[in-house]
Amino acid sequence: MNQTISVGAPRLGMGRRLGLSKYCAIACVAFRRRYNERSVLFGRIAFYAVLLMIFSALWRAVFAAQAAGSAPPSAEFGDYVWYLVVTEWIVLSQPSLHMEVQSDVQSGDIAYQLGRPVSYVGSKLCEGLGDLALRLIVLGAAGLVFGRFFAESWPDPTQLLLAALVGLLASLLMLLCLLSIGLCALWLHDCMPIYMVWQKLVFVLGGLMLPLSIYPGWLQSLALASPFSAMLYGPGHLVSGHEPGLALPLVLKLCGWCTLAAVVMCVLERRGVRRLEVEGG
Amino acid sequence: MTSLALHVVDLTKIFMLRERASGFGAAFRQLFRSAQREQLAVDRVSFTVERGERVAFVGPNGAGKSTTIKMLSGILHPTSGHAEVLGLTPWRDRRALAYRIGTVFGQRSQLWYHLPAADTFELLARVYDCDPATHRRRLASLVDAFELGPELRKPVRQLSLGERMRCEVVASLLHDPALLFLDEPTIGLDVTAKARIRELLREQSEREGKTLLFTSHDTGDMESVCERVIIIHHGRVLVDQSLDSLRRDHIKKKLLTLHTVESECDLSLFGTRVLSHGPHRTVLEVDLEQTPVEHVVQQVMAKARLRDLTISDPPMDDVIRQIYARANSRSAADPLPAIGPT
Repeated sequence: MNQTISVGAPRLGMGRRLGLSKYCAIACVAFRRRYNERSVLFGRIAFYAVLLMIFSALWRAVFAAQAAGSAPPSAEFGDYVWYLVVTEWIVLSQPSLHMEVQSDVQSGDIAYQLGRPVSYVGSKLCEGLGDLALRLIVLGAAGLVFGRFFAESWPDPTQLLLAALVGLLASLLMLLCLLSIGLCALWLHDCMPIYMVWQKLVFVLGGLMLPLSIYPGWLQSLALASPFSAMLYGPGHLVSGHEPGLALPLVLKLCGWCTLAAVVMCVLERRGVRRLEVEGG
Repeated sequence: MTSLALHVVDLTKIFMLRERASGFGAAFRQLFRSAQREQLAVDRVSFTVERGERVAFVGPNGAGKSTTIKMLSGILHPTSGHAEVLGLTPWRDRRALAYRIGTVFGQRSQLWYHLPAADTFELLARVYDCDPATHRRRLASLVDAFELGPELRKPVRQLSLGERMRCEVVASLLHDPALLFLDEPTIGLDVTAKARIRELLREQSEREGKTLLFTSHDTGDMESVCERVIIIHHGRVLVDQSLDSLRRDHIKKKLLTLHTVESECDLSLFGTRVLSHGPHRTVLEVDLEQTPVEHVVQQVMAKARLRDLTISDPPMDDVIRQIYARANSRSAADPLPAIGPT
C-alpha cells in the first residue's frame, strides 16, 4: 500500500543527495557559535603572544651565547621563532572536541543526538571543523603579526604558504585524534587520562617547542616514526628548514595518518554506539 | 497504511549493571573480575496507539517511561519484544524513523545556546532534508501559532524558560513529524507558560492529526492534553484506559462545596467527612462506596438552605497516587494484572 507523507515532511531517500549540505550547515553554525564566543578566542590570542614572547626571549638568549659554542645547529634565530609560530598555531587552534563528546556521554545527550537523521561522529567532526576554521583564521592572522614582531623578519613566502597548507591537514589529523579520544568516554566515562597522555606525546614527540632536529638521534628516530612529528614538526620544519621539497612527502604522510585516524574513529563510534544501544546512556 | 501509530508487544529491557563493592580489596579484585546483576527496566509492555491519539505515559521516577521512549525512538535496543512505530521497527529503521517522529525533552535542549533559535531552525531544516520553500512556509506558520516572532532573533540564552520551551516544540515540529514524543515538556514552567504549552500542543495535534505520547509527572498536562492514559510502574503497564474511564473506575470520592444561608449548621452525615468548615461554607468529602452523592445532597437540603453547591472530583494526583500505592502493596504478586481495559 502506498505510504502517504504529509506536506513538508522530508522525503526519505533524499539524504544521500543532500547529505553533504547538512554537514556543511553544522560546520557553519559551529563557526558562527565560536564567533559569538569571542572572549575564548581573545584568551587564546593572548596566550599565543605570551608563549611566543617567552620562547623568542629564550632563543635570543641561546643565540647570544653562540660565541661560547653552545648555539643550536644550522638555523637562524628567526627560523626558531617562525617554527614556534606554526606549531603553536596548530595546537592552539584545536577545539576541545574531546571534552564536548565526553560531556555528551556523561550527560546522556549522545543518546538523544543519535535519534537524528545525521551521523553523530560526522556532526561532531563538522562542529569541530567549523570551530577549527575560525580559530585557524584568527590565530593565523595573529601569528603573522606576532611572528614578524618577535622574529624581526619575514620567512620565505613560499615556505610560509606551504607550512600553512600542510598545517591545515595537520589540524585535521589532530581533530580526528581528539574526536577518537572523546569517543573513549563511551567506555571510560572520563577521557582525560587518555587525553593527557596524548597531549604530552604531541608536545614531546611532535616537537612543539623544540625542533626534532636538535633531539638525540634515538629520540629523533622514534618521533619521526610517530604521527606526532607529522602534526607539528613537519609544518614547523617547512617554514624554518628551507626544504620545500619535503612538503609532498609530508602531505602523503599526513593523508595516511588521517586515513588511519578516521578508520579508528569510525570503529570506535560503531562499537560505542552499539554498546549504547544495548546498555543505554 | 495501518491506522496504528504505535504497536508495542511484550517490550522488555534488561540492563546489566556492574556491582560496585566497597573496600580497597574488593575494588582491586574488580579490576580483574566484576560481578554483574540484571536490572529489569521494562517488563513485557504492550499497548497500541491510534494515529492522532494523544496519550499520557505516566509513572513514578524509575518506572521505565524514558527507557520505553528510547526504545520506541530507536535509540535503545530491547532485550525482547516487538514494536512498530508508524509501521517501522525503531531499532532497525532508526534513520528512516527519525524523519517521521519528533522529540521534546524538557530537561534537554536541541537549541544552540549562544545562537538565535532561528539559526537552529535553519540547521534542523537541513538536517531533516526539508525542502527550503516548504520549510519557510512551515516555519512561518509555526512561529505565528507559537507567537515566537520577537524571540526568534534573540540568542537562546536570553530566552525565558517558557519561550525556550516553545522554541523547543517548534524545533521538533519543523519537519512535520507524524508522531511526537514529549518527555516532561512543562517541567519547571510557571502556570501561565504551562497552560500555553499544553494549549499549543493540543491545538497542533487536533489541527494536524499528530499523535502525541506525553510523559509528565504533572497530572495537569495529562488532563489538559491527553485523552488516554497509560500508567507504568516497575516497568509494567498498570493502567491503560481513557481519562474518562480512569475517573469513573478509580475516583471513589467526590468533593461537595456547600454555601449555606445559615452561618453554622451541622453537616456531618453518614459516608462523608468534613474537610473544611467556616461561616456559610462547608467542604464535604463523600465516599461513593458508602453513599451516593444525590443522597448526601438530599440530606444536606433537609438540614440547611443552600445558596450554592459545587460537586467536583478529587485532584487527579490523588487518583494516580492511589494507583501507585495499590501497585506497591501487591508488588509481590507476579504477574501484575493490568487494571482497566487494554
